[in-house]
Amino acid sequence: MRTDGYAPIEDYALIGDGRTCALIARDGSIDWLCLPNLDSPSVFAEILDARRGGSLKLQPDIPFGASHRYLPNTNVLETTFTTDRGSVRVVDAMTIPCVSLAPMRELVRVVEGVSGSVPMRWRFAPRFNYGSTAARVEARHGVPVATYGAEAIAIASWNAGTPAGEEDAVVSRFEIAAGSRATLALATAYAEPLILPDPRAIASRLEGTIRFWEHWSGDRQYTGPWREHVMRSALVLKMLIFAPSGAPVAAPTTSLPEDIGGERNWDYRFCWIRDSNFHIDALLQLGCVEEARSLFWWFMQATALTEPEVHVLYKLDGGIGITERTIDLAGYRGSRPVRVGNGALEQIQHDIYGDLLETAWLYSEGHHALDHDTGVVLGRIADHVCDIWRRPDSGIWEVRNGPFHFTHSKAMCWVALDRAARLADRGELPKRHAARWKREAAAISDFIEQQCWSDRLHSYTRSAGSHDVDASLLMLPIIHYGDPRAERIQGTIDAVCRLLRDGDFVYRYHAEDGVPGGEGCFLNCSFWLVSALARAGRVDEASALMDRLIARANDVGLYAEEIDPTTGAFLGNFPQALVHLALIDAALSVQRSM
Amino acid sequence: MNIGSDLAGGFIGTLVLTTMLRGASELGWTRMDLAFMLGTAVTDHRRKAKAVGYVMHFVLGLGFAFVYALCFAAIGRSSWWLGAIFGVLHALFVSTVLVNVMLPVVHPRMATPDTAADEITLIEPPGFLMLNYGRNTFLITLTAHAAYGAIVGAVVKI
Repeated sequence: MRTDGYAPIEDYALIGDGRTCALIARDGSIDWLCLPNLDSPSVFAEILDARRGGSLKLQPDIPFGASHRYLPNTNVLETTFTTDRGSVRVVDAMTIPCVSLAPMRELVRVVEGVSGSVPMRWRFAPRFNYGSTAARVEARHGVPVATYGAEAIAIASWNAGTPAGEEDAVVSRFEIAAGSRATLALATAYAEPLILPDPRAIASRLEGTIRFWEHWSGDRQYTGPWREHVMRSALVLKMLIFAPSGAPVAAPTTSLPEDIGGERNWDYRFCWIRDSNFHIDALLQLGCVEEARSLFWWFMQATALTEPEVHVLYKLDGGIGITERTIDLAGYRGSRPVRVGNGALEQIQHDIYGDLLETAWLYSEGHHALDHDTGVVLGRIADHVCDIWRRPDSGIWEVRNGPFHFTHSKAMCWVALDRAARLADRGELPKRHAARWKREAAAISDFIEQQCWSDRLHSYTRSAGSHDVDASLLMLPIIHYGDPRAERIQGTIDAVCRLLRDGDFVYRYHAEDGVPGGEGCFLNCSFWLVSALARAGRVDEASALMDRLIARANDVGLYAEEIDPTTGAFLGNFPQALVHLALIDAALSVQRSM
Repeated sequence: MNIGSDLAGGFIGTLVLTTMLRGASELGWTRMDLAFMLGTAVTDHRRKAKAVGYVMHFVLGLGFAFVYALCFAAIGRSSWWLGAIFGVLHALFVSTVLVNVMLPVVHPRMATPDTAADEITLIEPPGFLMLNYGRNTFLITLTAHAAYGAIVGAVVKI
C-alpha cells in the first residue's frame, strides 16, 4: 500500500546486470533506475518524487494483490498479480548481453497469463537527469523512443497493446489470457546509436541471463546455516559490484531517509574503502576467487593516486572528484534534501587504513601472494599510519561534529600495523620498518587499554575518556583485537546490549553527531552483535538472534541500511551492501564457532 | 628515409616518453601506467606485466617513429615542432581510440563500459582521454607524446 504515492522501502526488490540496477515495487512499478551506470543520473526516480520522478509501471488495470520472489538462485524477479478475473505472472530482468548485438542496457518485462483473463496497463514516464527534464518521445519504426542529450531509451512491446502518448508518458492497455504472453523491453543507449531489440533475441538473452545467475550461484561453496539468506546476500553483492571497474557500490540508491521526513539522506553510490575487508572475506569464503582478485586490484589502482593517504570513498571509476550537492526532488515521503555526491570524502577517517591492510592480509591468506610493488605501497601506508594514529578523526560513522579519538579508529590503526608486520614477517611487505610497525601497534594497544576503557561501564568506550559506548566496539572481536573471549570484550558486548540495544536491533550510538534529526537502528550493527557473540563463545545467543534477524528481511531476502525498531519499517538506502556483508560474516562466525 | 636515424629517434623519444610517464606516476599525478596496461594483456603477474609492457612499449615506440618518418617523407620536411604536432595527434589517438576501443578488443583483462556481471576483469577502463586514471592524465599524455614527437622530428633524417 502506497502512502502519498510512495511504496514502503521493504516493498522493493532489486534487479541488475553489474552495471546498473533497478528497484521494482511489489505493485509492478520500476521507481529507480540510473543510466547508463549505477552512479549516473536517474531516469526513473519516483521513489524520491512520486509526482515527477519518473517510472515504468506494469500492473493489472483492476484492483489486485501482488507477491514477488526471485527465481531460485538468480537475480531475476517474478511478480504474481492476483485479481478477481485471474492471475498474471511478470518476470523482470536486466539482461546480460550475449554475443549477439544487444542494446547498451536492456530491461525486460515478460507478462504471462496464469489463469482467467486480466486487463493490464503499462505506463512509461522517463524523467531524465534526476527528474529535471521530461522526455521528448518520438516513434522510431513504431517504437516510442525518449531522448535527452546523448541518452536514448526505447520502450518496445509485443502483444502489450497499442502505445499512445498521454501527457509526458507513453501508456498502453491490453488483456492477457491464461497461457498467452506479452513482452516489454526497455532498450537504452548512451553516446551511441540505439539498438532496437527483437523478441527472439530478448527471449534468448533472458534465458541466458537466468542461466548465468544459476551457474554463478551453483559455483558458490557455502553449505553452512542460513544458506538461503547467505546466497541471496551473495547474489545482491554481485549485483552491487560495478563490473566495468570491479568496484563495489555501498548501495544503489541515494537519499532514502534514515528518518522519515528527516534530512539524514545520503548518496551511497560510491565505493567505501571501509567495506573492502568484509567484501574480500565474504568473496573468498564463498569461493568468488576471481571477484576477490578483481576487487583487490581495483583497491590498489584506486588508491594509487593518493597513497600513502587513502580516501574514504572513491567513485566507481576510481576517481575522487565527488562533490555533494542537493537536487530538486521532493524526497521520499517528503524527506529532503535529496543529495547527490557525498561530503564524507573530505573527512579524515583513520579506520580505513586498517580496512585496507586487513583486505591485503585476507587476500594474501586466500593464496594470493602480494607482488613486490603492492608490498612497497602497503609499506608506505603502514608508515603513514605510524605518523597519524595519535591524531583524532571523524570515525567509522563519519560524524560531522568531530574529530575525536574514537576507540574503533585506534583499533583499526592497530589492525593496519599488526597486519603489515605479519605480512612483512612473511616477506610480502618490505621488512625495513617492521620493527617500528610492531612498536607502534603495541603503543596503540596500550592507548586503547588505558584511555579507552571505563571501569564504570565495564566496557571499552566510544572514544578516549568518554563514558558512553558505540556499536562499532562490536568490531573488536571481529578484527581479532585481543582474545574475543576475554573479560573486557565480554563486558563491552554486554554494555552495548545494555545501552544501545532495542529488542533485536542495535543503535549506533546515542551521542550527538553534528547532524540534526534521528535515525533507526543500523542493521549491520545487529549482525555485528551476532558475530561478536559467536566469537566470544556465546553461540546459542548468537544463533537465536540470527534466526530472528533473518526473519526481518523483506519478502525477497533484502535489507535496507536501517530498521525502525518499533514498526519494523526499513529506513535508509536499499539494499545496503554492508548489511548483507555483515549477515554473511555473522553466518560464518556462527558456523566456525559451532 | 634513414632507418638508423628513425631507430635512434624512436629509441630516444620512447626513453623520454616512458620516463616522463613513469615520473608522473611516481609523483602521484596519474594512475596511468602504459607499460602495465600493455603487459597485462600477456600476463596477470603484476611485476612481469610491467617488464613485458616496457618491452612492448619500446617496440611500439620504434614502430611509431617509422610512421612519423613516413609522414615526414610524404610532407617533404621534418622538424622538432612538426614532430611535436604529430605527437599531440598521436596522444589524442592513444587516449581516445587506442586504449578505449582497440586495446580492450585484444586485452583479456581490461574492462570496457559494456562489461557486465558475467565478466570479471582486472584493469578498469581508461575512459575518455584516460580521465579515469586521474584528472591530470591527459595533460601528461599530451606533454609526453609531444616530447616524443619533437625528439623524433629533430633526429629523423628524410
